[in-house]
Amino acid sequence: MMAIVGYLAVLLAAVSSVGLVITGYQGMRGTSRVGPRSFRLPVLGILLGAIVAMSALEVGILRNDFSIEYVANNSASATPLLFKIASGWAALEGSILLWGLVLAGYVYTVYLQVVRSEGQDRLGAGALLVLGLVTAFFFGVMLTVSNPFRVCVEPGAVGCFEAANLPWTSSFPALEGRGPNPLLQNHILMAAHPPMLYLGYVGMAVPFAFAMSALMLGMSGSTWLRRTRAWTLIAWGFLTIGILLGGLWSYEVLGWGGYWAWDPVENASFLPWLTATAFLHSAVVQERRGMLQAWNFVLIIATFALTILGTFLTRSGVIVSVHSFTQSAIGPVLLWFLMLVLVASFGLFATRAGLVASSPRLDSLASREGVFLLNNLLLTVFAFVVLVGTLYPMFVEAFTGDQLSVGRPFYDRMAIPLSFALLLAMGVGPVTPWRAARGSVLWERLRTPVRIALAAAAVAVVLSYRNRFLLLGILLAVFVMAAILRNLYVSARSASKSWEMSMPRSALRVMRNDTGYWGGQISHFGVAVVALGICISANLSVEAEVVLATGETASVAGYDITYVGQFTREEPHRFVVGAQVEVSRNGRVLGQEEPRLNQYGTSSQSVATPSVDESWTGDLYLSLKSIDANGVRLGVWWFPFIWLIWLGGLMTGLAVLWSRLVRKPAREKVPVG
Amino acid sequence: MADTAAMARNPRTLIGWIVTAILTVVVVAGFVIGSPRQEDRIARLGSSIKCPVCQGEAIIDSPSPTAKAMMEVLEEKVAAGETDGQIVSYFRARFGEAILLDPPFAGKTLVVWLLPVAAVIGGVWMILSRRRSTRTPVVK
Repeated sequence: MMAIVGYLAVLLAAVSSVGLVITGYQGMRGTSRVGPRSFRLPVLGILLGAIVAMSALEVGILRNDFSIEYVANNSASATPLLFKIASGWAALEGSILLWGLVLAGYVYTVYLQVVRSEGQDRLGAGALLVLGLVTAFFFGVMLTVSNPFRVCVEPGAVGCFEAANLPWTSSFPALEGRGPNPLLQNHILMAAHPPMLYLGYVGMAVPFAFAMSALMLGMSGSTWLRRTRAWTLIAWGFLTIGILLGGLWSYEVLGWGGYWAWDPVENASFLPWLTATAFLHSAVVQERRGMLQAWNFVLIIATFALTILGTFLTRSGVIVSVHSFTQSAIGPVLLWFLMLVLVASFGLFATRAGLVASSPRLDSLASREGVFLLNNLLLTVFAFVVLVGTLYPMFVEAFTGDQLSVGRPFYDRMAIPLSFALLLAMGVGPVTPWRAARGSVLWERLRTPVRIALAAAAVAVVLSYRNRFLLLGILLAVFVMAAILRNLYVSARSASKSWEMSMPRSALRVMRNDTGYWGGQISHFGVAVVALGICISANLSVEAEVVLATGETASVAGYDITYVGQFTREEPHRFVVGAQVEVSRNGRVLGQEEPRLNQYGTSSQSVATPSVDESWTGDLYLSLKSIDANGVRLGVWWFPFIWLIWLGGLMTGLAVLWSRLVRKPAREKVPVG
Repeated sequence: MADTAAMARNPRTLIGWIVTAILTVVVVAGFVIGSPRQEDRIARLGSSIKCPVCQGEAIIDSPSPTAKAMMEVLEEKVAAGETDGQIVSYFRARFGEAILLDPPFAGKTLVVWLLPVAAVIGGVWMILSRRRSTRTPVVK
């Protein structure tokens, strides 16, 4: 029943997408009598179809409807409620459905903007046409190769072996479901991470649609850019938070003592983030100085293409083995779609190259524009490095059959200098004047931050932290933070003089007066905090593996870790084996920790749950490696100040709220410093 | 840099410069006597060798029995005083090139190192070519 409802809803969304393409085309040509209202029917059809389809899948999961293959293979009756809901998007078909739902939401918001615009909005109509093409693709995929509503025709005792695509085929429900992938039902973050990431990923379709529309209409200038700024920024904020949650999940769940492994799935989320970040900066240059028009098209096409590439990488099985993706039905389809996107958009771009040829040239490299160019160079090279590292092994294996790896040591060696250079640009750029900067002006603004950064690094040296990477990290991160705070202080001081306000009030007023700039500065501050957190936790962490018999104590990083005993716990959906560990410092007992191994249902693999004892000075991280009657083998890590990474990441992403939500103060204008 | 005349006139500026100079000396000294983190060899080698039965995990990070066994071999070899090169080639000979997480600067993986360098050169050239050529006016 739910399968039929869901499938018909997907069909409705697919048909409405085609309708949107046709209406969008007519609206873009502007000749027929297509008004903004004409889009209502197809847009609402897409939105309604997507919402009903997602709800049908969730209802099927919650009611343990194992006649639906997806439910039988990705959920079980004993699965806890929250993980049941999350399993609606934890596996392939469900995640594509979530893609479609999020995209439908973005289509609706674009439609609302088109309706509100006065007169004929041909640019908006064209964007809806492009978005219609993308939704048509995804809902088409759901009707065919990635159908979440396939019904089970050959059930097993657990799960479903064979399924039919059309939901009205007579079905035989499985007796019990397989349950979600063990790794995915181990932590609550799994419920929040994919939706956040998809809100970011899919949102990049909107600026892409406007850019394509502008090219089709032959519109030069920055109209498309201004109209898509908000969406790019919001999508970028979600993407930032989504990546952060992914890192936190890896840290809290996987138990290997890290948060980022440079594996292809992580890289897939990071790639569009890098190019979108470059775009957010280069868009400012186009708005202020009319430069980089062609480059912005390239960046936004690349960002959208990278989201499709990321979906392909994570959803086709190509990571497990290059040759497995041809067995997955959706792999080749996504790859063809990626090719189509690249050929069509760059082809269109090439035919319209004349539009963007006349942008002004750079006056001087020593200028705000110059630093923006440096930023774009660094971010693009960064993205390129990650792309090459991710794809090259796959290419080599696909074409020669040889296997090779590009792993963490490679990425670290490339990413560290690039990140340091980005931090430097981040400190200097925002206070550099446009057009041409005089050295003396720049030094006047940077003198104090440089001194503060030197002082911070000198303190570290005196405290005998003399690791080069750590010192360089402190120097640059503190420099960025100090430059931002100095800038705010100077602006606020002059504002408080002119308006006779107290310093805190005038600082707030300054920040509210130019929310775009200050939102960016909050974000930069967050990135500097992340950088500081990474440098400190990576360079000063302590790592040890200890083997303990019952009652034995080991000492790591000043903590005494005593193995008290083993415990087991039977839960409805899993069997837990854990170690009771007492942690004390200088003879004072700090607490009991329970790192454990979880065994889920039918799965043979056990999943570790590390215990993380958080404090403001750092995390004591215990991971159970093995346990038997004789004792335990524990991985013990001490990560000083690792919370700086989570705090800074949150700040970086949530800074978007300052730019989007904070209103300008009503009357008086404050001189901008 | 600020001009020396103003520096001499204003004692506060002078003190500022002296303090800056001292701090710089301290930090530079820290750099010179400091070094990158001396990770122990086992950790460094363990994170550069891939566990052959896992997905992209280094043997030091993976809980799988294969990875554990390989770590034990690694520890024995380090204890026996073998060089990094000897240890890496041992694993490479047994498990193939795919276990090298740190791609060698040679052979098939040379491309991975050279492409980013080419991208930097290309990017710098593009930026420089966008500069207005006012500094070198054509003299007739």
